[in-house]
Amino acid sequence: MGNTDGQFYTIEGLAAALIMLLTAYLVVNATSVYTAGDTHISDMQLEALGTDALTVMDTNQSRYTMSPLRNIITNGTAADNQTFGTMFGNLINNRTNYGMDHIQYSASYSYRDGTDVKQTFLRASRNLSGGEHAVRATKWVFVNKQLGSIPVEDRAVLVEVLMWRD
Amino acid sequence: MTDENGALSIDFLAGFTIFILAFIWVVSMIPGIMIGLQSYTIDYDAVAYRTGVILVEDPGWPVSPPWESFNDLQKANVTRFGLAVSKDTPNTLSQDKVKRFFNLSTPADPTVGFIYPDDYHTRAIFGDYPYGFNISLVDLGGQNESVGDILPNGTGYIRRVVKIKGPSNTTIGDAKYSKYPSFYNKTDDDINQTTTHVFSILIDNPKLMDEVKDPAYQIDPAREQITINITDIRSTITNNITAGIDNTTSNITLIDVKVYKKEGGLYSNVPLPASEFPYINSSSARLAAMPAINVENVTLKMSSYYFDLMKAQDSQIYIALGFNVSKGVVPQNSTFLNNTQALPDFYNMDGKLTFENPNTIPFNYNYEAENVTQPYLRDAVLEVAVWSGVG
Repeated sequence: MGNTDGQFYTIEGLAAALIMLLTAYLVVNATSVYTAGDTHISDMQLEALGTDALTVMDTNQSRYTMSPLRNIITNGTAADNQTFGTMFGNLINNRTNYGMDHIQYSASYSYRDGTDVKQTFLRASRNLSGGEHAVRATKWVFVNKQLGSIPVEDRAVLVEVLMWRD
Repeated sequence: MTDENGALSIDFLAGFTIFILAFIWVVSMIPGIMIGLQSYTIDYDAVAYRTGVILVEDPGWPVSPPWESFNDLQKANVTRFGLAVSKDTPNTLSQDKVKRFFNLSTPADPTVGFIYPDDYHTRAIFGDYPYGFNISLVDLGGQNESVGDILPNGTGYIRRVVKIKGPSNTTIGDAKYSKYPSFYNKTDDDINQTTTHVFSILIDNPKLMDEVKDPAYQIDPAREQITINITDIRSTITNNITAGIDNTTSNITLIDVKVYKKEGGLYSNVPLPASEFPYINSSSARLAAMPAINVENVTLKMSSYYFDLMKAQDSQIYIALGFNVSKGVVPQNSTFLNNTQALPDFYNMDGKLTFENPNTIPFNYNYEAENVTQPYLRDAVLEVAVWSGVG
């Protein structure tokens, strides 16, 4: 009977280890793993889209008109808020092909009233439940209206839109 | 009997060493594996984003004359596409640039327009890698445009919301003639009847540049085409039975179009190349040679290339159209569209004598909405998709 002391008899273990490593390497190399770090790409796309939409809405159509966004905030009626929803929803969801996209949004603007910062709700396509992975797009808009206790004057308000995909 | 207490098994030693080596190898390999995994999709998104930024926020190169004014024989001079009106107006695109960008060549005639994918790859996508791509634009107030292949699955992608600046234009027709008869018909007087009628238009560049500074609303003939439609011209004929002139049967001839540039108080005649000749009677092709007979309406489409080469940003430009009206072929004294006293005559016009006399009041292409339809911005969406063009 042979003595097994000092014998290198784990060759099976070595082979199994190498096979497992090779398999893991092949699997990992063959699959596209969407890591948490990659979400910044779709976030960036959404944010660029929202910023573009706000920029376009705050651009005058001609020299003789006020920008739609400025007009909406200045007037501030329910109908204006609805106009915001229609315009913003169309701008972010229009595509060149494949019908409309399904991006949801919730918009408001904030302004300073003395030492306070107050917020006015504009429009939301859907209420935020808290589980959405929303990104934020903002735009400073110049308006001439009474906000809070400050009388009518030229003011800047910060329009903020949270956007997320269904 | 051998005492094994305290002995280190060689099995354990070998196994542990292999494990540690493998562990180190795997750990050092993981970042490389991940980069390899993600590089293509990240790259496609990045390339799509870059192309989107170039197209939406950059006016392209060259800027002067603008790249879109280069014709197909000159397109090698275009080094970078860019659709923005100027570098100061991101998200506001020029209609002329958009139209030229989507002017694709066809297999039947590859000399007309830009060739997909080569011309676009080198001027908008960039890089050595043979990307596949599709660039589409939906003009919410007009038509859709697209260049590129059908999208496969898994492309890099960016969508930009933009405005398109429609160029200015004017239509001089019945509505204006009837409102200001003395302005459009200075010879509506038997004493001043003449055989040659001159209608002039003033492009006052210094004033156009000064009055509106924002390129998004500015009328800049050196950057965007201007269009002048002169319609209903027959209605400006006053019947003259003795001369056989009447506004239903007489022939109207466009003798020539002369362009004068006023710079530093001096006038110089700038030749009008055939590429700037007017369109007659709503034809889709420019007039090949002047004079043009049986004219009912005239459309001048003055390209930015022509104005840019003139270096006329600090100059006033006068465009004078000479007409005559005849019963048969011989011009008759008559009254017709005329706002210019050409001195000494249309063929030997002196700029100072002609345009600086009280009987000349040229039509002013300016910022008055009554005169000119002003630039107007409309909404559009631009999409760029990029993928591997290999295989």
